[in-house]
Amino acid sequence: MDLSAFVTQSIGALSTASSLFIVAAGLTLVFGALRLINIAHGSFYMYGALAATTVVGWFPDSGFWIALIVGPLVALVMGVGVEMGVLRRLYGREHLTQLLATFALLLIFADLALRFWGKNVRSINPPKVVNGNFGLVGARVPAYDMVIIAAAIVVGGGLWLLLTHTTLGWKIRAVVDDPEVLVCSGVNIRMLYTGVFGLGALLAGLAGVVIAPQQAVGPGMDAQIIVAAFIVAVIGGLGSITGAAIGSLIIGIAETLGANLAPSWASTFIYLLMIVVLAVRPWGLLGTPER
Amino acid sequence: MSTYGHLDTDAHDVDPPGPDTRSARPAPASRTVLLRRATAPVALTAVMFLLAFTLGSTTLVTMQEVLAFAVFATATNLLLGQAGLVSFGQAVFFGIGSYTVALGWLHWQLPFWATFVLAPFVGALVAIPIGLVALRARKLYFALSTLAFSELAYQLAESRYNFTKGANGVFGPFVPTALTQPRTGYLFLLAVTVVSLLLLWKVNHSPFGLVLRAIRENRERVQALGVNVYLHQVAAFVISGAFCALAGAMFVIYSQSGYPELLDWTTSGWPVFMAVIGGMGTFLGPALGALIYQFGHDQLVLYFSDWQLVLGAVLLVIVMFWPDGLMGALARLGGVIRRWWKGRR
Repeated sequence: MDLSAFVTQSIGALSTASSLFIVAAGLTLVFGALRLINIAHGSFYMYGALAATTVVGWFPDSGFWIALIVGPLVALVMGVGVEMGVLRRLYGREHLTQLLATFALLLIFADLALRFWGKNVRSINPPKVVNGNFGLVGARVPAYDMVIIAAAIVVGGGLWLLLTHTTLGWKIRAVVDDPEVLVCSGVNIRMLYTGVFGLGALLAGLAGVVIAPQQAVGPGMDAQIIVAAFIVAVIGGLGSITGAAIGSLIIGIAETLGANLAPSWASTFIYLLMIVVLAVRPWGLLGTPER
Repeated sequence: MSTYGHLDTDAHDVDPPGPDTRSARPAPASRTVLLRRATAPVALTAVMFLLAFTLGSTTLVTMQEVLAFAVFATATNLLLGQAGLVSFGQAVFFGIGSYTVALGWLHWQLPFWATFVLAPFVGALVAIPIGLVALRARKLYFALSTLAFSELAYQLAESRYNFTKGANGVFGPFVPTALTQPRTGYLFLLAVTVVSLLLLWKVNHSPFGLVLRAIRENRERVQALGVNVYLHQVAAFVISGAFCALAGAMFVIYSQSGYPELLDWTTSGWPVFMAVIGGMGTFLGPALGALIYQFGHDQLVLYFSDWQLVLGAVLLVIVMFWPDGLMGALARLGGVIRRWWKGRR
């Protein structure tokens, strides 16, 4: 493989990894703080993408940049609603209960999306500035790929800053370690839970907007992304943001390699990878064993 | 058995009618208890048998689907309700059961009866390695790794076109003509269902089933007693897999095809929904859930398109406010009526 092909493939792998990371980071953040797996995370992602197509429909020129704000906001509102209306009543119950409740929400949101947006597949173009390709060491690279990668870097850096350099971040990390002590020290833990869940939903919505110009947007993308996000989060270790980054890189590279080396096996490759990781380390690469 | 006998009582508030090992008393008393407790299942079977001659053929065909799902849900509930293991991968075995019949016919011209009998064994055989790997993980990680197996199986079935006919699935006249008649098909499936449920009931109420419930309630303590928790759970996984595969083979009589969606993780969700709707804590709950789910689905899609919305809303309400499902609610209602009746006298 010559250099230019290598560059093209690497950028492709990185961009796949980047969009996966934004989704999985939200999922794993919520798991870390709330100890629950949110299947409806896929719905937030889908609504972010669908909202983006609507906004771009209204404002064809600057729509994408507006959607970059509107999409995550839609997901944030949904997330806060879900947490306050449903999940808040289910903390302390079995994990099956929470899993099923969020599964039920996925089904409800999927049908509501059909009502609002119909079953046709929608698509939008990348904004003009980043539409098209540019040359990089003799390779043609889609400019929009760089936007996705930049978004992932911003999200990753932002989460790192939030978790390590702000009081809110300390509280979020403390709630993972020992919620009871945190309550005793006077922190409003209910608000904190709502906030963390909302932040996770916001990230899913953001990922939806970012991916919209690259993918067909329509029914089914919720269930499809949630499986991919699970795989990334589980390989990396649930609850670990760094793990999500590593997991998404592994999946991005594996998907690209698989598509090149053995196309007919590519779709099975990532599941095999997850099973192998779980067989060796049942709690993921950077996770901690379940108590 | 007496070591964790106390666990049994609180783990099973609502017991199905039927002979109960727990209440085994000296011979004369136990015989009358046995007779009394056998009445309900025998009566239920008789009613189901008579339905074959009273229902119309459209309803009978739906009932075939219900019976296959009743076995699927009851087998899944062995893990869910008894062992406390949330598996999102039971569709792997359901699909494998269907594919055993369909592919046996397609590639090796095996007769239906042979593949039908073979299906549970194929399911059990596949469940051994999956169980050995997946059960190394715990709780959510177990649920998610079974989900990965489900997706893997789905992708394999879809991409190995030469073996499975890919996304189209396998269609063909592999079901004997006698069984394609609604009534005979229903009667055959009823017989298989009754036998399967009796066997699963036996498993639930054996010392083995008791150990599973004990592990669910307090894993560390059972481990400390010297029980090999891992192997017990693998065994439960294999038994469940075998019956899920049998259910898949039963489903073929209704669908007359095998296709990749049967292996998908959303299909793995169905028996879990059915068990939750009917009540996971009871033996017949999942079967009742299958009946409600299937008829609810068939009726609702006739009138409006938002079936998933209704299913999601029902699930959400049950999960939030009614965690022991319909059977649990019925049992509580029965208790209220009994108390009211006693008070009146």
